[in-house]
Amino acid sequence: MENINLKPSSNDDPGDVIIPEIFEDKITHSVINNFFVEVTSLTIFTLRFFKELFKPPYEFNELMKQSFLIGYRSLPLVAITGFIIGLVLTIQSRPTLAKFGAESWLPAMVAVSIIREIVPVITALIFAGKVGSGIGAEIASLNVTEQIDAMQVSCTNPFKYLVVTRVLSATFMLPVLVVFADIIGLLGSFVGVNIKGNVSPYLFFSQIFQTLEFIDMFPAFIKTFFFGFAIGIIGCYKGYTSFKGTEGVGKAANSSVVFGSLMVFIIDMIAVQITSFFQN
Amino acid sequence: MKKSISNKIKLGIFISLGVLVFIFGIYFVGERQQLFRGTFRISGIFRDVAGLQVGSNVRFSGIDVGTVNNISIVSDTSVRVDVLIEESTRIFIKKDALASIGSEGLMGNKILIINPGTGGKREIENNDIVGTVQPINMDDIMLSLKKTIDNSSNITSNLSSITGNIQSGKGTIGRLLMDHSLAQNFDSSIVNLKQGLFGLKNLMDDTKISFANNFDSTFVNLKEGSEGFKLLMKKAKSSWLLWGF
Repeated sequence: MENINLKPSSNDDPGDVIIPEIFEDKITHSVINNFFVEVTSLTIFTLRFFKELFKPPYEFNELMKQSFLIGYRSLPLVAITGFIIGLVLTIQSRPTLAKFGAESWLPAMVAVSIIREIVPVITALIFAGKVGSGIGAEIASLNVTEQIDAMQVSCTNPFKYLVVTRVLSATFMLPVLVVFADIIGLLGSFVGVNIKGNVSPYLFFSQIFQTLEFIDMFPAFIKTFFFGFAIGIIGCYKGYTSFKGTEGVGKAANSSVVFGSLMVFIIDMIAVQITSFFQN
Repeated sequence: MKKSISNKIKLGIFISLGVLVFIFGIYFVGERQQLFRGTFRISGIFRDVAGLQVGSNVRFSGIDVGTVNNISIVSDTSVRVDVLIEESTRIFIKKDALASIGSEGLMGNKILIINPGTGGKREIENNDIVGTVQPINMDDIMLSLKKTIDNSSNITSNLSSITGNIQSGKGTIGRLLMDHSLAQNFDSSIVNLKQGLFGLKNLMDDTKISFANNFDSTFVNLKEGSEGFKLLMKKAKSSWLLWGF
């Protein structure tokens, strides 16, 4: 029989819950194990997605429906966010640039910030909040109510119908949303510039396109496909593997948003490293 | 069913607009980089490109007419810069055009500036190599500035030493400005000079009077002498001893 030390050390806070050393080790092991199990499951899930993607039949109608729901329906939210980002960024940047007498650089600076980084990331986070959680909760509720099992019984491939369509929609709709958010963000910036100044639209956009280069546009655009894919696949995975019960639905929706947002930042960091490698 | 078609139309418009906006963006950015216009290429060899980058603007008469296309190291002392310039500006750029590296404002990006060359020369051709003006290196400016500052420091140090000496009465100027006995001597010299001049004046006055008197008496004597001589000559003429003369 193992001797379990339950006595707290003198440094322990009296209010702390005392966990025996042996259990602490087990909990640590369990967290690490769970992490690797989760990574493996997600990898297998992603590989299955690619396998099912190219295998007929194709669910075009469901793909259109999901694209409409995921893309078109998210446009108002993304548009408002983009406009506010452009407006606020311009108003906040003006005093600093004015100190150096460089107010004329405001459109160019804001445009590069918006197109390169801020709008893709913020739009992806909004997308993760709206779409990621929606996908996670929807698939989890189908799982809970055993509708996925029912689909299998009725000879419909639930993975193809539910996962492939949603992941594809998320992957291709997020870049379109980001393009709209970029334009609306620049319009917000134009309004911001004209609150305290007087710049014609022609001069404003001319200054922007004088500064922008392909290296500002393409990496930012390409990474949004990865953002969309990550948000879609994580939402589907969390929903598809949720445990039974209503609690599972909430947990799937929550973890879809959390892990989706985290993946957005991780992908963004990798994308910046790759871009700067090619830039230098 | 109707709703489904309407949704598909909305989705189609949404995607088409997004793609269209993206294509416009590419077009406008590409337009700036002369991707959709006729261009020609010229090159220049620089010793130091001072931070010029691929994609930097090329300016001619204050107008952006092209971009830097490629920068490559040719040898340890020369860097080749290839630029793409709008075809429409070719007629204004001559064979003896000069390229120099400047910057957009005090903190701006580096740009390549094309000086058009002389009017009589032929216009530049594709793949020509133009002459270059070496950019002023910031380090050289700082080095020169450091020398100037060192010299200024020496000058101010010398000035400080000179003013110190003057203040303590050393040296000619110091003694002149700070020595009181010199001023007193100068005062007494002036007084003596004044007295001397006064004496001289008196002497001159006396001399003038006596000289005038003597001069008058000399003339009287001379007059008397000449009258006597006249009389003597008259008598001599009438004397028999001098007959025949």
